[in-house]
Amino acid sequence: MRYLQADNLCHRFADGSVALDQVSITVAAGELIVIAGANGSGKTTLLKHLNGLLLPQSGQVILDDVPIVDDLRETRSKVGMVFQDPDSQIIGDTVYDDIAFGPENLRLSSQEVKRRVTKAMAEVGLTGFENKIPQNLSGGEKRLVAIAGVLAMDPAVLLMDEPFSNLDYGSARSVLTQIRRLHANGHAIIITTHDLEKVLGYADRLVVMRGGKIAADGQPSEIVTTIESYGVRPPCSVLMNGVIEPWLG
Amino acid sequence: MAGVSVVGYIPGTSILHRLDPRTKQFLVMFLGIVCFLANQWYFTIVTICILIFSPKSVWPFRLIGELKFFLLFLCVLFLVRGFGLDAHYIPYTDAERLQQAFLFCWQLLLVVLLGVMLVYTTSTKDIRAGLVWWLKPIPFINEQVLATMIGLLIRLIPLILFQALEISDGMKARNIENRRYPFYRFVRFTIQLFRRAFVTGDDLVDAMQARCYTEKRTMPLLTFAALDVLAALLGIGIALISLVGS
Ligand SMILES: Nc1ncnc2c1ncn2[C@@H]1O[C@H](COP(=O)(O)OP(=O)(O)OP(=O)(O)O)[C@@H](O)[C@H]1O
Ligand SMILES: [Mg+2]
Repeated sequence: MRYLQADNLCHRFADGSVALDQVSITVAAGELIVIAGANGSGKTTLLKHLNGLLLPQSGQVILDDVPIVDDLRETRSKVGMVFQDPDSQIIGDTVYDDIAFGPENLRLSSQEVKRRVTKAMAEVGLTGFENKIPQNLSGGEKRLVAIAGVLAMDPAVLLMDEPFSNLDYGSARSVLTQIRRLHANGHAIIITTHDLEKVLGYADRLVVMRGGKIAADGQPSEIVTTIESYGVRPPCSVLMNGVIEPWLG
Repeated sequence: MAGVSVVGYIPGTSILHRLDPRTKQFLVMFLGIVCFLANQWYFTIVTICILIFSPKSVWPFRLIGELKFFLLFLCVLFLVRGFGLDAHYIPYTDAERLQQAFLFCWQLLLVVLLGVMLVYTTSTKDIRAGLVWWLKPIPFINEQVLATMIGLLIRLIPLILFQALEISDGMKARNIENRRYPFYRFVRFTIQLFRRAFVTGDDLVDAMQARCYTEKRTMPLLTFAALDVLAALLGIGIALISLVGS
């Protein structure tokens, strides 16, 4: 059952660089997909197409059988995105206001906004942080605020761009725990990373990008054996024992 | 990132925090305008009020740090206004002149402090909601859009200042100070600053769009309470007494 689908996306930036070249990908409801690839291979650009932040020169993205260009706002409420750089995602003055930003844009009632924010904060373990200033939080806490901000909008699909960059062991653990919980609750999740170690053990599918194209797409256990040829380092366990092991013991 | 100093919202529960944003906006406008009509008695009372009601955590270092460029500007202003140059470029002054210059600077400082207290104790969201309420009766303008623009401006200014600091540190780390010509430094700095301001602006727009940004959003519920009436009356009272008394 496919839920989100991209057909033959091509994207060329104003300076002439081709970031996506005939990219097609389908996402089933509830699926956890990992997109790997070297720097500049087009991962971020692809994610931004999936919620309509960027529009392709040719090709289209279809959500629930409807082209997303028909209603971009609706798309963005169903496809949430956590950005590579959490600093650029902070909008509110306090953690509470920041997480409330999305639900307020959906024009929910004040009580519903409050309910959703409280719930999202509890889910990511940030209860008690309501009145903190987001800029002053640690990198890991900022990332959790960003995740809670997306969760409060209750999307069906989550796009996460490099969710583990700049995180220490503890923060990476809490982010990964969130990802597993959301996956278990039936969210479709798409994660980009060049660090397969942490997340590959939980993925349903592995997609590899190179030079703006999809170079491989399939079962993690099959693809991971050839992944080094695409400029991505296989997880240690694969190098040592030839199997993918879960990172959270 | 620590040590970056820009005036921004400080969450809290003080009296000023509890006032409705519209009351605070009224008081800032009203007390600020009266500053330009009033005398030192009024200045003294307003100064005392600011000292009593402002968040304690900002006194004095944070406030001085955040307003250092403005304070420097005030000092220059004081010198220019307080001293004249005679035919041989020798500075001269007298008590009357110094007093006038002092009052002038005091009055500017008060107007700025009133605004700063508003920003310290009111979240951007509430400032925006208050602005929408004030702008609503004015015909032919879209109060939602205008309030958003003002709100964005308030938000982007700290970001730009913040980056100014970061860039200058980054350049120092790469020995730009060994360059002989300050002009070169200045040009490099300005180019970087503008480029970064736009890039950040782009990212911010992306982040806002990804969360379905719209002007017509759920608005915070604003309610006037007894405290608001009291504060407004107090403000008007202070102004009347010192205007009539002078
Ligand atoms: N705004 C832009 N203007 C011009 N070119 C761009 C722009 N954004 C990205 N690119 C180019 O598009 C290509 C793909 O970029 P993208 O950010 O999608 O890569 P990525 O796989 O996310 O890389 P990373 O792992 O470093 O995040 C790169 O070659 C990049 O230089
Ligand atoms: Mg990227």
